[in-house]
Amino acid sequence: MKKSKISKLFAACVLTIVIFGMAGCGTKTTEKSLGGTGEQSAPLVICLEGGDWGFPSPFAHYSRGPGASKMRLIYDSLLEKGEEGLIPWLAREWTISPDGREYTFVLNSKVKWHDGKMLTVQDVKFSFEYFMKHPPVSDSLFIDGKPFIEKIEVIDESQVKIVVKEPNATVLDRLGIVRIIPEHIWKDIDDPKKVMDLDKLVGCGPYILTDYSQEQGKYRFQAFKDYWGRKPRVDVIEFIPVSDPVLAFENGEIDLLDVPPDIIDRYENNKEFKILKSPAFWGYKLLFNMEKKPELADINVRKAIAHAVDVDELIEKVARGAAVSASSGYLPIDHIWYNPDVTRYDFDIEKAKELLNNKLLNLVLLISDSQQEARIAELLKINFAKAGINIDVRAVDMKTRDNCVKNCDYELAIIGHGGWGRDADCLREAYAATVARDAGPASNVICGYSNPKISQLCKKQLIELDEQKRKSMIMELQKLISDEIPMLPLYNTIDYTVFKPEKYDGWVHVFDHHAVTHNKLSYLEQDKK
Amino acid sequence: MSFIVLVCFIAIFAPMLTKHPWNQPTGASLEPPNKAHILGTDDLGIDLWAQICYGTRNSIVVGIGTAIITCFLGIVLGVVSGYYGGIIDLVITALIDMLTSIPSLPIMIVTGAFFGPSIKNIILILSILSWAMPARIIRSKIISVKQETYIKVAEGYGAGFLYITYKHFLPQIFPISLASFIKLISKAIVSEASLSFLGLGDPTSKSWGLILNYALNFPGIYFTDYWKWWVVYPLCCIILLVLATAIIGREFEKILDAKID
Repeated sequence: MKKSKISKLFAACVLTIVIFGMAGCGTKTTEKSLGGTGEQSAPLVICLEGGDWGFPSPFAHYSRGPGASKMRLIYDSLLEKGEEGLIPWLAREWTISPDGREYTFVLNSKVKWHDGKMLTVQDVKFSFEYFMKHPPVSDSLFIDGKPFIEKIEVIDESQVKIVVKEPNATVLDRLGIVRIIPEHIWKDIDDPKKVMDLDKLVGCGPYILTDYSQEQGKYRFQAFKDYWGRKPRVDVIEFIPVSDPVLAFENGEIDLLDVPPDIIDRYENNKEFKILKSPAFWGYKLLFNMEKKPELADINVRKAIAHAVDVDELIEKVARGAAVSASSGYLPIDHIWYNPDVTRYDFDIEKAKELLNNKLLNLVLLISDSQQEARIAELLKINFAKAGINIDVRAVDMKTRDNCVKNCDYELAIIGHGGWGRDADCLREAYAATVARDAGPASNVICGYSNPKISQLCKKQLIELDEQKRKSMIMELQKLISDEIPMLPLYNTIDYTVFKPEKYDGWVHVFDHHAVTHNKLSYLEQDKK
Repeated sequence: MSFIVLVCFIAIFAPMLTKHPWNQPTGASLEPPNKAHILGTDDLGIDLWAQICYGTRNSIVVGIGTAIITCFLGIVLGVVSGYYGGIIDLVITALIDMLTSIPSLPIMIVTGAFFGPSIKNIILILSILSWAMPARIIRSKIISVKQETYIKVAEGYGAGFLYITYKHFLPQIFPISLASFIKLISKAIVSEASLSFLGLGDPTSKSWGLILNYALNFPGIYFTDYWKWWVVYPLCCIILLVLATAIIGREFEKILDAKID
């Protein structure tokens, strides 16, 4: 009698596990019935390639796209990046005073935190003030190390006014992406970097983190039922460790793949799959440390190096054709303000030798241990040697390399990062800043370099509010930068993202970013407009 | 045996065997084997046959270099601990026990990452981690030889440690050292391949492990044809060389065992 009960219980357990398992990753049985409409009762689980990108709090995530994007699933901001530009989010509308110093945001009502409390204007005020005291990993509230906000006023229960010290072209962009955090959680925390409890991760965003394993690089996000805004279409997002993404995608373990260009024809012209091409907003650049190697401060040496790089060969062999050559003026071809008339440096060994005056140079090139960077380094080494530049390649792991670059502890370095599609003020941050914007690899000061002409123009464009005038300044700035080449952009990659539309087809690119998985719009219902 | 001779031959005459340089692209990216490139090219367009020939040098240098240092360490420490006994023996056997019980690959990875990638470091790390086995065998041999009367007699006549070692111990332990020497070569070749496979070698040097590493990390390689030459050939080389040294080691052991008996 007892035995049969136990066996029944056991069978029931097994059955539940099987059913849950089927709803999870890697099974094909439930995919068809879902059809991506989100109306059925079976939850839609999307699995993506994992990896440890840090604890997704605004203060602890790793300072690269995969880390920041996970944090953003939990926390909303006043505005959001849409497919065309900034779109209203927590703030349903906003006004800017004629002198460009006062920004008034009107908040949506009935916004709930994950713990059920209501979001208030006070929380917004608190978030800005807290971030100025404790800068988050992705920080937009400081310009060259100084805060630009003068004060924040609560007008009534739905309006907040932010007054800035000086009008500038990027204020809305900067204020809009600041995460809003709950006052009742953070007000007593003095060292937010140390917070590592899941229950402290209370946001008002569409997803709640239910599971995080640092060792395995696993994350599990569940849709927040009482989310105030667009309804989440994906019920559960899981980031799982995979050893070979292509195999994992083929086996149905993950639902999205950045397909290597060599096997793209497997998925082309196949109704089962859909391929999205990304804008080229991720790229590699070669950094010169003029503090450690004063030779590099000589513009002819930098030009010689630029002439010794065969970008077309790099694109053909390392990027396997899925890239465009980067502009020596930094802003990539797909950027709205790209200047096609910048000075170009064609591959020309003779010219490089001439510029070097047949001098010999010995440099150490720092790279991360990724295959792509090792291959770039190998090709650079071959061509540099022909021009009389001997490089010694040193490979370290990615996070060490990022750190060395931040601390100016290198001679030459290759670094790849996203964010090339951001507002053109990134030129100022890259070429004229004296303090890095935040911890991200995209924002590094060029060690030992400053050019008064570039710095001046960078400052001028920042406070220019007339868009046409600012645009022409940016064009001029790119030209100046391309003549000086304080660092050498190599190439911008194009991602081909493949997925099965039958399971889920909500993937979109936002206007300034290369990865569909990094924006929350991809997981939410489309705007009804 | 003939395979080893062939490999050594390839290593020594590498420049004459290949018409393409090992460090310069000479063809298009990922050409399948053809007349110009008999084993095809890798993603950078560098001839694979040339890379394998030069990689042979690396493998042989690492293999023999490690074996020499390891055998030297093993003989010195084994003889010393076996002959003197006492505290010295205790310390050395403790070290041997420690080194044989801990798994060597993780340690190699950590130390490799710590000291930076270069062939010299790989040889040093491998030698430091693998002297324990020969030392243990030699120590036990010495302990048994020490009891022989002719040693006692030599000691009685006032022969010193060095004299006894040179005259009596070395001829005795030579056969077993030779056997472990050959075993160590194959062990070192595999370790070098796995270390550079894990990306702990110089990323721009050429060795069999590194060629394999780049090939296997090429995204989606099994869904292309590239693995047919880029993976298969270096893999065959490693397997064949290790098999050959293992068989020779075996044969040596047999011959020497017969001699000792």
